[in-house]
Amino acid sequence: MKKFWSLFFFFWPVVAIWSCWIAPARGWWFATEAMSPLGERIDGLFYLILGIVTVVFIGTQFALGYALWQSAVKGEDQKAQFSHGSHSLELIWTVVPSFVLVFIALYQMDVWAEFRVQSFYPNQTQEDGPQLEFMARQFEWRVRYPEPGTELQNQPQPGDLYAVNEMHVVTGRPVKFNLRTDDVQHAFFAPELRVKQDAVAGLIIPVWFEIPKAGEYAVVCAELCGWGHYKMRATIVAESQAKVDEYLSNLQSEQNFDGVVTVDDEDE
Amino acid sequence: MLVQMNRHIATLIVATLVVSMGGCGDALNSSFVYSEQTQALMPQAQKGFPVKGDVKALPGARQLLDDRFGNPQSLNAWSKLPIDFGGVTGTVVAIPDTKTLILNFDAEVPVQTDEPLKLQFVTGPAAAIVVQIDKLSEAWTASLSGNLETLIKAHNDNNQGEEPRSIPVAGDVVVIDGGGVLQHGRGLYMRHCSHCHGTSGDGNGPTAQYLVPRPRDYRHGVFKFTSTNDLSKVSRDDIHRVITNGIPGTYMPSFVPMLNEQNRHAVVEYVRFLAMRGEFERKIAVELSSDFSKEALGSRLEAGDSKEDVIDNLRDFLAVDMTDSLEFVSDDLASKWTTADTDDAVITPDVSRIADTPESRRIGRELYLSKAINCAACHGIAGKGNGPQTTIYEKNTVTGELYDTPGLHDVWDNVNQPRNLTRGIYRGGRRPVDLFRRIHAGIKGSRMPSFKILQHEQIWHIVNYVLSIPFEPMPGHASGVAAPAEATPAATDAAAAASVVE
Repeated sequence: MKKFWSLFFFFWPVVAIWSCWIAPARGWWFATEAMSPLGERIDGLFYLILGIVTVVFIGTQFALGYALWQSAVKGEDQKAQFSHGSHSLELIWTVVPSFVLVFIALYQMDVWAEFRVQSFYPNQTQEDGPQLEFMARQFEWRVRYPEPGTELQNQPQPGDLYAVNEMHVVTGRPVKFNLRTDDVQHAFFAPELRVKQDAVAGLIIPVWFEIPKAGEYAVVCAELCGWGHYKMRATIVAESQAKVDEYLSNLQSEQNFDGVVTVDDEDE
Repeated sequence: MLVQMNRHIATLIVATLVVSMGGCGDALNSSFVYSEQTQALMPQAQKGFPVKGDVKALPGARQLLDDRFGNPQSLNAWSKLPIDFGGVTGTVVAIPDTKTLILNFDAEVPVQTDEPLKLQFVTGPAAAIVVQIDKLSEAWTASLSGNLETLIKAHNDNNQGEEPRSIPVAGDVVVIDGGGVLQHGRGLYMRHCSHCHGTSGDGNGPTAQYLVPRPRDYRHGVFKFTSTNDLSKVSRDDIHRVITNGIPGTYMPSFVPMLNEQNRHAVVEYVRFLAMRGEFERKIAVELSSDFSKEALGSRLEAGDSKEDVIDNLRDFLAVDMTDSLEFVSDDLASKWTTADTDDAVITPDVSRIADTPESRRIGRELYLSKAINCAACHGIAGKGNGPQTTIYEKNTVTGELYDTPGLHDVWDNVNQPRNLTRGIYRGGRRPVDLFRRIHAGIKGSRMPSFKILQHEQIWHIVNYVLSIPFEPMPGHASGVAAPAEATPAATDAAAAASVVE
């Protein structure tokens, strides 16, 4: 029975090695490919930590199995080795993990700063300013663009353009927007971009991302905000500057529609 | 279309087809609730009278409703109503033997599907019978999976007391996969809408009590934010627009991207179905309530009539007068809901929007304050929605009694705060045409009246003024002065000039 338990504990690190070995070939991978440069770096950090944790898991489990096996094969009359209070051992298991943790803490700092600290946001976002306002409310996302050619103000302006659950942004360069909430706390989560940010009542939170590839990306609410939480889905449409301009100009004419269709309009 | 094809059909049972459960895999166990008006009728008026000797059964209010609309598990598609129930309609051309039908369809039929095709007879001697089609050839020859004679015999055995069915004849109307849209709409409605709007569309789902404003109760057949004129119902496009855009300032969210176009269409049809059901129920209850409500019964008993007399009256009424009433009510329902989707019902301004100049806003504000139009009575001089009318005690137009709470009440008996125009939130849409329609048709069901008597130019002036209110430096004080941020340089000059003149 003693041998069974030691083998049982040996079994798990073996499973871990086996699954690490076959995972890439079988496509056992976390989430999808990151669709933004910052997302790739966040994924890099994630896999680094995953790697460290895996090595530690396999190492400690093998050590555990080895210790059990040693005791299992010892005779009943042999005394156990008593190591409590070993100064050098305690130094090792304190200092090594602290080095690992300090390494992770320092290594991730620039990614974190770029993701969260406004003064480290890409220069482009500082120059361009926020492109739009993304207002969460129970249970949808209200979008407000400034009138083309003007800058976004925190207070609504006469020429502002409004949309719901659909954000159009330019591809290939960092885009910043203001995240707000109209009622309770929500969270903006774009899984493919690896961006997640709470929307907090009373705060205007600038969030940025960069999407190199044109396409549609999902947004969901990641903070349980009420019974309709699951309804809070939106789409980020990433496209060329020309297409975004075209979208905004269509939105503008739709918003100014006075119900009178002239012959010229029909020809278009 | 299904509806137009069957408009001539008189007999009700024949014209309804049962949309059974299944398909979506929703194991629902819910029922439509009868309205308060129906429940206030005397029990016999609700339940009707069973067969007695050689006197036919007389359906009461509940059965009249259920026969036409069914319940959530088993919806009835009443083809008189202008609803896209789904399915493809056709006619029987010939019946070579009891296992084969030669058909003719007016639209394309999915010949190859994973699910077996179901065909239902809508008219003729086999009405309401459902058969499964094994194989449908390109020439519309259907091989049935069962024998018609056996199916009809089984149907007759199961439905004793109903008119026995027999083999269909050429010319009978059939529908393939009927009710698909309604069924799909029901599944989506139950999942996404019913927790606020309620299973019966009574605006009283489990989450409704936490919401201000209350979710819409469809059963009046009245919807607030429409593009149609003041006398018309809501159009499909209007409901579709609300599901797509949500209603800012309320708890109604946008359902894009969650529901795609096809799903939204199905939900629109199901909402219209619930609205028509509620309206039909209300009208039937009105027909019966003056003489046969519990209250009317009580006063007649007090006046000395015997209960038997009242019941005999009710019997006569159900047997004779009800037939005409039903025909009138259903014709009216069908025609009103059909008209709402025509171009004639839509409000289109005669003139394009008047340029949004300070002068136009000034005229708009004058109209807003004028005695004749008097927007300020409700919306307030500064547009804050706090006019003097919001503090009065109103009379309930139905019961004639004073409401307990001050303020303007809508047909749903909720207090309606007139819109605060300084906030820039427009529930019915913020396009100029939306505001134009709001003023032209009023807001149905609410105390916002129709101002269709105004010239369209005048309405545009008011629209220009209303759209400028959120940006006035001092709402209620600016006359002819544009907010600096929005005025074009020329306009600013004009505004400055105007203020100098004053």
